[in-house]
Amino acid sequence: MFSTQDTIVAIATPPGRGGLGVIRISGPECQKVSGLILEQAHELQPRHATLTRVRGVDSVIATFFVAPQSYTGEDVVEISAHGSPVVLQEIVQAAQVAGARLAEPGEFTLRAFLHGRIDLVQAEAVGDIINAVTPLQARTAFDQLEGTLTRRIREIDAALFDLVARLESSLDFPDEDYHFIEPSELSEKIHGLKVSIDELRNDAACGRMVREGAQVTIVGRPNTGKSSLFNALAGTDRAIVTDRPGTTRDLVTEVTEIEGLAVTLVDTAGVRNSTDVIEREGVSRAHGAVTVADLLLVTLDQSSPLTREDYEVLAMTQGRPRKILLTKCDCGAAWLKSTIVINEEALSVSALTGAGLGELRKEIAQALTNHTKLRDIPAISNLRHIALLEKASSGLMQAERAATNSAAEEFVISDLQQAQAALEEITGARSSEDLLQHIFERFCIGK
Amino acid sequence: MKYDVIVIGAGHAGVEAAHAAARLGCSVGLSTLSRDTVAHMPCNPAIGGTAKGHLVREIDALGGLMGVAADATGIQFKLLNRSRGPAVWSPRAQADKRSYSRWVRAALESEPNITWLIGKVGEILVENGRVAGIGMEQGDRYECKALVITTGTFLNGLVHIGDEQIPAGRAKEPPSRALAESLKAHAFKWGRLKTGTPPRLHRRSIDFSAATEAGIFSEERGDAKPVPFSFRTIQKLENKVSCWLVYTTEDVHSLVRDHIKQSPLFNGQIQGVGPRYCPSLEDKVMRFPKRERHQIYLEPEGLDNDEIYLNGLSMSLPRVLQEKIVQSIPGLRDAEMIRPAYAVEYDFIQPTELKSTLETHRIKGLLLAGQINGTSGYEEAAAQGIVAGINAAKLIRGEEIFTLSRSEAYIGILVDDLVTRGCLEPYRMFTSRAEHRLLLRIDNADLRLTPKGRATGLVSDCQWDNFEKRRARYKQNLSTVESTKIRLPGHENLFAAQALKRPKTKLVDLYQKGYISIETTESTFDLDLASVETTVKYAGYLKQELSRVDRVRRQERRRIPTGFPFMKVPGLSREVVQRLLEVRPETLGQAGRIPGVTPAALAVLGAYLNRPSFTKSASH
Repeated sequence: MFSTQDTIVAIATPPGRGGLGVIRISGPECQKVSGLILEQAHELQPRHATLTRVRGVDSVIATFFVAPQSYTGEDVVEISAHGSPVVLQEIVQAAQVAGARLAEPGEFTLRAFLHGRIDLVQAEAVGDIINAVTPLQARTAFDQLEGTLTRRIREIDAALFDLVARLESSLDFPDEDYHFIEPSELSEKIHGLKVSIDELRNDAACGRMVREGAQVTIVGRPNTGKSSLFNALAGTDRAIVTDRPGTTRDLVTEVTEIEGLAVTLVDTAGVRNSTDVIEREGVSRAHGAVTVADLLLVTLDQSSPLTREDYEVLAMTQGRPRKILLTKCDCGAAWLKSTIVINEEALSVSALTGAGLGELRKEIAQALTNHTKLRDIPAISNLRHIALLEKASSGLMQAERAATNSAAEEFVISDLQQAQAALEEITGARSSEDLLQHIFERFCIGK
Repeated sequence: MKYDVIVIGAGHAGVEAAHAAARLGCSVGLSTLSRDTVAHMPCNPAIGGTAKGHLVREIDALGGLMGVAADATGIQFKLLNRSRGPAVWSPRAQADKRSYSRWVRAALESEPNITWLIGKVGEILVENGRVAGIGMEQGDRYECKALVITTGTFLNGLVHIGDEQIPAGRAKEPPSRALAESLKAHAFKWGRLKTGTPPRLHRRSIDFSAATEAGIFSEERGDAKPVPFSFRTIQKLENKVSCWLVYTTEDVHSLVRDHIKQSPLFNGQIQGVGPRYCPSLEDKVMRFPKRERHQIYLEPEGLDNDEIYLNGLSMSLPRVLQEKIVQSIPGLRDAEMIRPAYAVEYDFIQPTELKSTLETHRIKGLLLAGQINGTSGYEEAAAQGIVAGINAAKLIRGEEIFTLSRSEAYIGILVDDLVTRGCLEPYRMFTSRAEHRLLLRIDNADLRLTPKGRATGLVSDCQWDNFEKRRARYKQNLSTVESTKIRLPGHENLFAAQALKRPKTKLVDLYQKGYISIETTESTFDLDLASVETTVKYAGYLKQELSRVDRVRRQERRRIPTGFPFMKVPGLSREVVQRLLEVRPETLGQAGRIPGVTPAALAVLGAYLNRPSFTKSASH
């Protein structure tokens, strides 16, 4: 796995049928391998798409990337063929016969990492892009790949580094007539850094939602239009809709996209006291789904009078993230919004006419991420990064406390170093030599 | 004649190396040009200072000379950074240069195992990849089993004063050319560095009291209660001199700017790289044009010495100009220059050529210490000297080598930085180089290192008795603090240890107000208290630091065998392999500190070291 001496091949596109399938060959023998399997007479011209054929298999487009300007940093040939699994398999086998080895999972990315083409953050992002289900997920992972996250963290890291350098200078050069940093300024600066990190952490919660998706569960008493809403949001007819209360007896789920977020939509059995054993089991499952949901959509049928069961549902979902929906708004109102005493806005929707659904989608996305605009934040979608940011934040909190208590610089530095170590685990390490370099660049020091 | 160990050079590295090897029972030949310049201080008349003071305390804890010598002959003592935390307290002393040199010489002369070899070494003798002896320029030969070279700035030394270029190791002393050639024949990686020293003024030409009264100079005195470098020092230290602080003016700066073309540092005459932390006057003026003034300290070179050292004014401008510059400094209008400032260029061997014992990879039994390894400073030199001296003795006896880790001592950091990273500029110790700084304090230098020094055989019975008493005091005081209940005004009864955890409560106050009794002695008072207070007050921080050390130690324990075939490890880039072959790291931890060795490369190397086939073959 850690060898980069041989040439590897694999299908680079997801399994299954698609319009296109791409095969990637990387390594020192890459040109030789592609020469053996492709029909065209001449060598591939670097960075040019060439229409050619794989002997006896399919017509393809082949592109040659010369090291180090390639994905892996090695010579790479990418072959685009028609996306049939059979065709792609055959091409891979031909490449194996010609001397390439089948790549291990992640080996292309590993090579890119070993050759210094990407850093650790980017390497992780590659995995995310490949696994992206929705366009926003892909975009988030792409942000990370392009280094948006790395850049934000680097900015904070650089400010922290400068702060440490100033503190270190006052320890290393006590005789100089400088105030490298005023004590009053210190806790303020540390606080500012902590705020920046916490902002990133808040964004991170959103990023995680983007990456891992959220569960949105529809609850309400029977026959309040849960399944119709489910089908309207999911764009399918998975849930059976009838006029009979209690039609849905088990949880129905569907993964769908709402405003770019991957959402697992859950339809539940209507909450009521039933004597039917199966329906009672369904209701108990609905209760379970309520406790794990990231967001609840509570349906109240506005076209028929409120019942005790409606109030039970409201009580059951009290204090949980929820959105109150007044359904069947196309059928006329049997009661007014003001009848129910709640502090939340209720939204009128109709699954039948589609009224209010657009707004509902936006509100779901906003409630899930706490952000109105999803596309302008660097997203941290990786648990490892979130954990490290938390570590950095707690280091800064301790440092701030130490500075406020006028603890000696070396202890403040010790706390700051903890924060630094966490950030550097994301962006890459620094040495004491870098620190001195920074000090000498900025100050005229030494007697 | 045949010796166990020969040491070339009797500067700060050489004397510690010779002393250590002799105390470990080796017969030592100590080669020097003259006994008058033993432990000479060619630059500033001071020992210690930030981080350097730590080194001196550590050398002393191991049984070395420097601390005792500085205490015995110092003329002004200060504990720097006293207003800051205990980990950065650092002792510094103004030295009396001549008496320091005399004291060290006498100490070596009282060692029966040391023989002086006066003269100039011309070549090193090597047989079958192992050191065999030295040849003097006059033709005599001496055999040895281990050789420590500590030639300072003498290898191809070239002094610059304006456009004057004088081949010299130090002012008025001849350089070592033949020896440099003899060493170069062995294909070591070489480099060239530069350092400098400021002008010396005649004491009688400066009216200190008038300038001080006029507010031009500010007088700097020693501490009211001096803290000695060494726990072995019992005699009371006395401050016998003052220093003075004065600032440069725009007149000085414009003189430098107008004549910058005459500075060898700026006109290309000097190629060697100088230290950034000790910039020449030219550097200060040209690189930091916005600064209106720079500090200059006037420091006496000794009691019976007329020379005043101008700390902060090293330069390489022509003599005439230097005089003008000096005289344009406030209070120095009539100053008489005894010696001009000069820059010196010299050859050094890239210390990546060395193992962590300071033995070279290329030649068995050959060790290098001091400025030849690219360092600057008396303390850095002495620290390497003691490591090289102990290891020279260990090597010829086939005993276990002596190394200190980065979490044990500043000396460990110094050696590890050198052999792992090499030098691009003269290397000086800073506290910021220590990643486990909170553990490496001056107050616990003896607790950290004296047991190790004892195990090597360097710590004498007398020093050891002294240490055991001090360690008992420390333990006793710790348990007193933990078990004594006190009642502070406005507070409930509580243990002294609990009270000490409050930011504002100080052990010295508790002691002086009679709340608690402390076992201590007059000369160790400050550090006895600091050891206890730090252990209690910062227990949380220390624990955190120790757990960090623990994490690092796992990497440090993974040894890379000698002669490891880095080029055979698949997945390492050519650049990384080259760096690894140059440095030849001894542990995975060290490999990770080599510049250019990426975390990915380290992962690959670690994986390879883990392979069962490899582990098996490596253990045989």
